[in-house]
Amino acid sequence: MTNARQRLATALRHYGMAGVLVLLCAFFSAVTVREEIPGGEEAGKRLVETDLSTLDGPARFLVFAPDSDDGRAFAAPIEHAFRKKNQPTIIFVTTPRDVRVALKKLAANGEKFDQVVAAPECANWTVFDKLTEDLPGLASAKLVQNHGTRWPIFLTRQNLLNVANQIVVVAILSAGLTFVILTGGIDLSVGSLIALAAVVSTRLVRDRLGGTEASNGALLLAALAGLALCALIGLASGAAVVRFQLPSFIATLAVMQAASGLAFILSQGQSIYEVPESSAWLGRGTGLFGLPHAVVLMLLVFAAAHILLTRTVLGRYLYAVGGNEQASRLSGVPVGRVKLFAYSACAALAGLGGIEMASQLKSGAPTYGTSYELYAIAAVVVGGTSLTGGQGNVLGTLVGALIIAVINNGMNLTGVESYTQKVVLGLVILAAVLLDRLKGRLGPSARH
Amino acid sequence: MNDPLSRRRLILGLAASLFTTTLCAADKPKAVIGISVLTLANPFFKDLADSMTAEAKAHGMTTIVTSGEFDAAKQQNQVADFIVRKVDAIVLCPCDSKAVGTTLVQANKAGIPVFTADIASLAKEGKVVGHVATDNFGGGKLAAVALIEALGGKGKVAILDHPEAESVILRTKGFNEELARQKREKGVSIEVVATLPGGAAKDRSMKATEDLLQAHPDLNGIFAINDPSALGAVAALEKAGRSGQVKIVGFDGMPEGKAAIKAGKIYADPIQFPDRIGQIAIQNIVKYLAGDDVSKETLIPTQLYRKADADKDPTLK
Repeated sequence: MTNARQRLATALRHYGMAGVLVLLCAFFSAVTVREEIPGGEEAGKRLVETDLSTLDGPARFLVFAPDSDDGRAFAAPIEHAFRKKNQPTIIFVTTPRDVRVALKKLAANGEKFDQVVAAPECANWTVFDKLTEDLPGLASAKLVQNHGTRWPIFLTRQNLLNVANQIVVVAILSAGLTFVILTGGIDLSVGSLIALAAVVSTRLVRDRLGGTEASNGALLLAALAGLALCALIGLASGAAVVRFQLPSFIATLAVMQAASGLAFILSQGQSIYEVPESSAWLGRGTGLFGLPHAVVLMLLVFAAAHILLTRTVLGRYLYAVGGNEQASRLSGVPVGRVKLFAYSACAALAGLGGIEMASQLKSGAPTYGTSYELYAIAAVVVGGTSLTGGQGNVLGTLVGALIIAVINNGMNLTGVESYTQKVVLGLVILAAVLLDRLKGRLGPSARH
Repeated sequence: MNDPLSRRRLILGLAASLFTTTLCAADKPKAVIGISVLTLANPFFKDLADSMTAEAKAHGMTTIVTSGEFDAAKQQNQVADFIVRKVDAIVLCPCDSKAVGTTLVQANKAGIPVFTADIASLAKEGKVVGHVATDNFGGGKLAAVALIEALGGKGKVAILDHPEAESVILRTKGFNEELARQKREKGVSIEVVATLPGGAAKDRSMKATEDLLQAHPDLNGIFAINDPSALGAVAALEKAGRSGQVKIVGFDGMPEGKAAIKAGKIYADPIQFPDRIGQIAIQNIVKYLAGDDVSKETLIPTQLYRKADADKDPTLK
């Protein structure tokens, strides 16, 4: 009996939140199932294979697709197929306005077409409603239909990448915050440090490193400067906690105010956007397997943090300090230096979050990161790290951050209005803490 | 049978697959519009979003309403979600006029047209099809007209400003230009003795007004750049026991502002019409999809709203 209870407790402790994440994904997949209309190249190819292949005789074609990456990808295989068959075709990759202009012009020239093909994205272009007016020859036009497959929007590749992309900044913050919370402290300044790092580095680029003409080396230098400043500030709040025994809540509350004020002063309350195109590399670029650089960065941060916590002496010290500070001190753990490390690493990661956000938005503004400290704390707590310190792990934090991202994304996809979104998010955090309590009650070992 | 006409058919891509449609059928697929406003905590944007939803419904379209809550990164995420949902058009009230560029480019790349309402994009990159907003410059002029009228053409006034917002810069500019013109041409002798930041919010405007009353005990009037600022000024005057002695002109026409005008606490407001802005934004989308011309910028004029209007207003009990 106790064995079963303990096993349940262990399972809950290790996989509880991951299970919640899986359940949430399953839920949002179930409620976002739609007829998935393939777009882009796939749509073009399918059209060539199915409908266009059944057409016999010399037909004249008119093809429309929206002016987008998908639109061009849609048009390409169709164009290719027609060229092979030697069928006269005109292809437009364009906007509704230009469709209208094109149709009028073709009608005026007395051109005749047998088929009009439009990309899936044009389904709601009402300009086609007037097709028969604009091209009278199409009056008896009939619609050929294809069938899509049913698939949840939530589980599309683009959406899953969105979820990951959207949580990068909060996740990086919460990785750093995990260190501080493990030592039994808290850092409220991380949100303001996002703004400060973003403003300092963009301003350096604008004023000192060549503005929109800045080289990649200059961008790196500016980013490192932002990071270093944040790390120093973290060191200062750590020193206030260690040297003067200030409660971390108060010390970092002061830093939060000061850093935010500094960001407003340095930017004069405006966004700084005179940065080069290449500055979006980190935030918007994609690399190997189409993975966004931002997501790769996040995974690297978590891998490093995980190794640090599980494989190094410093990692063990962080747990020890949070578990029992007095005992750690007596057994020779350099408590002060461990804490200094936790606060400066946390602040440096907040700075990294700021650089990331500046890159995503290609600008720095003092309003960035407002109340992000609360999201980060929520991610850490939802991930199962105890606010009293000594317990938890950084992979749990990643799961926590993903849970928050999935809930936000899922509610956006299902069209839940934003007031309700806040309530739901609050309830989730509450549920996570309750679950944490439940773990403690089920397994006596869980609370040590 | 050999008539080529009989073979003429329209393949409307795969998209039509979802719906059993013929070319002119009534149950066409519904266009979906993704909307992200600045904040839903402000009734102006709530009205704006509601009117867009109503107007879209009238055109057989549906909306998804979200709010960036002043967070440019959050708004960017909302747009990313719209792109995944393959909406047909997006309406934004940019949370950061200058940083909205990357968000616009994202939507442009996906071929989704973006429209702005109330707040314009000042970013160098990214395409916006059409912008609809209040004529803030003209509204600022009307505010000057109202304050001159309230003071009988002479006195000392102050401005509760919020120069962080582009729209407010225009209001203040309109106010100052109209005042200067009337001073020159009509012998008005009103002097602006102070321009203080009120944060466009009640609490900060109240404190700013308290400081104003200390620095200028002989103050006669205040132009507050929006209703929350005006109501903050009202609170400060009431606290100082000088209610009614200093004339206030606000801006917006929120329900709370209108009630204060009815009660005589605010002299008048140039009122905005968020419902008109919303309707025209949606009509722009309808025009765009039909291939019609959409005007790059539409400015909706404000109207002065005084106590007499408030007394007749059926929305105020």
